[in-house]
Amino acid sequence: MAADASSAAAPIRPSWRSDRDTVWLLTLWIVLSIIGCLLVALVWGPHMPPGRASNTAASQATDITVLATIATPVIIGVLLYFGWALAFWRQKPGDETDAAPLHGNIKVQATWIVGTSAIVLALAVYGTVELIAPAGAGAGQGPQPIFKNGVPPAASTTSWSPNSNNILQVQVIGQQWAWTYRYPQFGGFETTELTLPVNQPVQFNITSLDVIHSFWAYTLGVKADANPGVNNVAYTTPNTVGEFQVRCAELCGIWHGSMYDTGTVMTDSNFMAWTQSESTKLASVTKLLPPYALTYDPTAVNNMGKVNTALGLTGAGGGYYNPADPEQP
Amino acid sequence: MDPVSLPARVATLVVAFLAVVAGVLWVVFDIIGPQPQTENYTAYAKDGQVNVTMMTTAQTTVTNKPDWVTYFIQNPSTKQFDHTTYFAVPANTTVNVTILGYDGCTPLRNPLWGQVAGTVGNVENVQYYNGKAFSAAQNLSTFDSWANCSVQHTFAIPSLGLNVPIASVTTFDENSNLCGTSPCTDADQDQNSPHTVVKFTFKTPSTPGAYRWQCFVPCGLGYVDGNGGPMGTPGYMMGQMEVQS
Repeated sequence: MAADASSAAAPIRPSWRSDRDTVWLLTLWIVLSIIGCLLVALVWGPHMPPGRASNTAASQATDITVLATIATPVIIGVLLYFGWALAFWRQKPGDETDAAPLHGNIKVQATWIVGTSAIVLALAVYGTVELIAPAGAGAGQGPQPIFKNGVPPAASTTSWSPNSNNILQVQVIGQQWAWTYRYPQFGGFETTELTLPVNQPVQFNITSLDVIHSFWAYTLGVKADANPGVNNVAYTTPNTVGEFQVRCAELCGIWHGSMYDTGTVMTDSNFMAWTQSESTKLASVTKLLPPYALTYDPTAVNNMGKVNTALGLTGAGGGYYNPADPEQP
Repeated sequence: MDPVSLPARVATLVVAFLAVVAGVLWVVFDIIGPQPQTENYTAYAKDGQVNVTMMTTAQTTVTNKPDWVTYFIQNPSTKQFDHTTYFAVPANTTVNVTILGYDGCTPLRNPLWGQVAGTVGNVENVQYYNGKAFSAAQNLSTFDSWANCSVQHTFAIPSLGLNVPIASVTTFDENSNLCGTSPCTDADQDQNSPHTVVKFTFKTPSTPGAYRWQCFVPCGLGYVDGNGGPMGTPGYMMGQMEVQS
């Protein structure tokens, strides 16, 4: 009881509200934030994922750098306050008095609400602008993408040449457990190799012929779901000659983890030579493929053989067995 | 005083913990863990080559999934066909594969897989047996599985760019008189059933590792779009080639 009486008589203003602490904390926070922001933006920023191998990847890397830079003062402020409290506001040995009661502080609360609201709203505006204008993270996919990279719709879906203002069309087809790619502007051949020309806008038309997959060309900054019967569109312009990894980012079965391959970005002339080579190499199987469509329909078969028909095999409705088969779901 | 004593609470906690651990171990060892046996051909390689023989059948009568299609691989020592899809071969070696195709035809979901790729010459050598006589062997590079009754399964190793459509017997009668047990053996005259003999050659990579292989024909009877069942189960229509140094 004696202790309670003595605490009631103690000074109301606790040490944590001293002007000296406030000045030190504020000064340290400002200095550390400036240093931290410079380090994040200038030192870490150039190495932010997913890199800058395409315009979409570079845009995403910029977005991540901006977000990390904005978050830096917040993180530093929290950690600094936490560390300061641990170091200087420790309870002294033998001091069992209660802390001063909190009655709220309009100035602090207003500053907090205004500050956090400003940050969140600013990020919302920034994110919206990035989503629409320069192809930030997540932009430009879906059946009706809002972003087209400033490139007009393909002038021709049956031919293409470099720098022709005619966006290159590449259909990405997911299937358990491999990716295949179809090039409608080069005779519609389908191949297991994803090859792109450097500095040329590309439109990916992404679909699946079985379950849901997700096309993720990580270093190109392209990721879009591959859904059966759906065409998801994504755009990019690779700007670096070299290889990039393609993975499936949607759990799609037992060998989902093995569903990856390596794509290649090459010069325009090499790309044109590659398309010529592939077109020739795959000519015999290209004529067996279904007519090119934005959703890959394996049941669109013009020439169903007599034996297949007699055996009750059918492509109708996606079924591959006799529709009367009692085991067919 | 607490209604439940401390020892009782501790015992409950321990039992619950052990139950969770047991569940995890059961999933790991009984569901994930068991893998088909591996037929190791490495010791049988000679002069940079090794011969691997497999078989496809329309059913798996040696398991509790008799209506699942499956592959078998011949044991290099006993010459018996074992129910497995795992095999091992040496690195940087020419592999001569023979597949005895005892299943009937099914159209490919993606006709692209009707083209032979990644083999020596990008061809496969095919002989058809109609139940009475063998046809002349012929090298084929492309199969139209929709227009013709021509493909039963594929043997594909995507990471190596290898794709081999397994030719099927081509007539309605042949498809209706397939081998009735598995593996198809001399004992019950099943080897006289209509089938194909598919031969091809490919080179193993110089890098040791596990390379998965699979069938691209939607041959999972009774599953949506033919996916699932044997298509997604090791030991049936998918397996692994272990390349050893």
